Amino acid sequence: MLKKGLGVLKYGFVILIVLLSLGPFLWVLLASFKTNAEILSNSLGWPSSFRFSNYAMAFKIAPISRFYINSVIVGIFGTVLNLLLLGMAGYVLARFQFRGKKLLMGAFSLSLLIPGAAMLQPLYLTVNALGLYDKLIGLIIVYTGFGLPVSLYILSSYFLTIPKEMEESAYLDGASFIQTFFRIILPISKPGFGTAGVMQFLLCWNEFQFAIILTTGNQSRTLPLALYYFKSQFASDYGVMFAATMVVIIPSILVYILLQEQVVSGLAAGAVKG
Amino acid sequence: MVRKNRGYITLFLLPTVALFILVYAVSLVILFGTSFTEWSAGRSPKFIGLTNYIQLFTDDADFRQSALNTGIWVVLQSTIHVAIGTIFAIILSMKEFYWKFARTVYMFPNIISGAAVGMLFLCMLNPDFGAVNSIARLFGNADFSQNWFMDYATAFFSVTMTWLPYAAVVTILILAEIAAIPESLYESARIDGASTLKINLYIVIPMLRNIIGTCVILSGTSMLQKMDIILMTTGGGPGNETMNLPIYIYKTALMDNNFGYSNSVGVFLIGFGLIFVLLCRNLFRIGSSQH
Repeated sequence: MLKKGLGVLKYGFVILIVLLSLGPFLWVLLASFKTNAEILSNSLGWPSSFRFSNYAMAFKIAPISRFYINSVIVGIFGTVLNLLLLGMAGYVLARFQFRGKKLLMGAFSLSLLIPGAAMLQPLYLTVNALGLYDKLIGLIIVYTGFGLPVSLYILSSYFLTIPKEMEESAYLDGASFIQTFFRIILPISKPGFGTAGVMQFLLCWNEFQFAIILTTGNQSRTLPLALYYFKSQFASDYGVMFAATMVVIIPSILVYILLQEQVVSGLAAGAVKG
Repeated sequence: MVRKNRGYITLFLLPTVALFILVYAVSLVILFGTSFTEWSAGRSPKFIGLTNYIQLFTDDADFRQSALNTGIWVVLQSTIHVAIGTIFAIILSMKEFYWKFARTVYMFPNIISGAAVGMLFLCMLNPDFGAVNSIARLFGNADFSQNWFMDYATAFFSVTMTWLPYAAVVTILILAEIAAIPESLYESARIDGASTLKINLYIVIPMLRNIIGTCVILSGTSMLQKMDIILMTTGGGPGNETMNLPIYIYKTALMDNNFGYSNSVGVFLIGFGLIFVLLCRNLFRIGSSQH
């Protein structure tokens, strides 16, 4: 009896979770093909036909393509820069002993404890003072910094698993420090970089509050802000609003489905050891 | 090897140190330094001692509401949210036929931007065409149709529901930890006649203490920066019903241009987070041996 009850409870829980996760997407996806009249009269039903005019309209009336390009630029550069810098730092911190190392590690892990929101005004000030306000490069630098604790953690944990003999034999063959890092360490650390890279990319792609504070014109705004824009400017054109929402969501879902194992192992990477 | 490599070590560390200084260290110095000043845009900061902090704690109803909401959300997130994630992880770990599908789908709301999640729920709960109200009407309960995000009675609950059930990160972390429990432990428990429920209650969950503690910290602290969904859905309103500390910082700093005051809220937020992390570390004895 108890066993049966638990079974019902279990499946009920799973179904509820799946519905809660998938329901809103499917509903908005369906609605994105409807006309305004259909949305208001037939909110739960199937669209009368699958027309893409809402999507065409979304791209036409809002600078979504500009936002898209900006997001891609910020995502790629924010990720590559983060991986390069933190790969280098993580390697040195994982491999060598030197004075001040403890202090440095302490300072870096402190950054995990500072909520981004507390830094809103100070970072706005810094970015402004550097003349990077409303420029993509400003966002790239800030996001590269935000990914510091997570990337450092994932990458240096990965470097620790590489046997030291690899480098020693490289040195014996006459390779320099830089050659050893770029030719030996980087290639065998691909999984570590993949994991840190996906996490960092999603951070850049989804970030909202600093994007809204550090930019002002459409020239440098990113995709999450497109929705904010839609909410205020086209609030009565529901079909277009739904299409715009899907346009923002679909790339994240695609990236996730393609790199699913990488994301999952990335999230789990430190957990077991930590 | 170290002596010879000293130059390279410096070279490899320098960019990250510069980044850390630029993004974190400078911000912290500005934050603490100016939290004792009266400072608005275009003026230079004027030292006023503890005045900002005194005002925060004695004469600022908006701040009190924001701090209270933040506190409630931290508590909900580190209990109900983590519990949902843990239960789901244990169910998925039984690896029944649907587990990969369920894990994938559950990740969706966690992988897309908070602004998009906010938009989804804004549409779902719209009083004119939202699915929730349409379903309510289907059951003949027309009074149920209301503006969930704008109504004082429901706004807080509605906003909370946009993140509380979505604990996929917790689920993944705990699933990984369960996978690391040796199979032999389950087998010997089964041979002793223990049921699945008992195995989970008395063997699996106690072994997850460390990781559950980590999840409580991660989920709780994520509430200290929550801004995108709230800004998208209610903007902190109605009134200040769904205002939290990040939105209050945003409001005082960039809309009221009250920099010094806003930074004293920032200092409070950091202190709040540190106390929460220390409490959790002690509560779950994180880092100490499990056996």
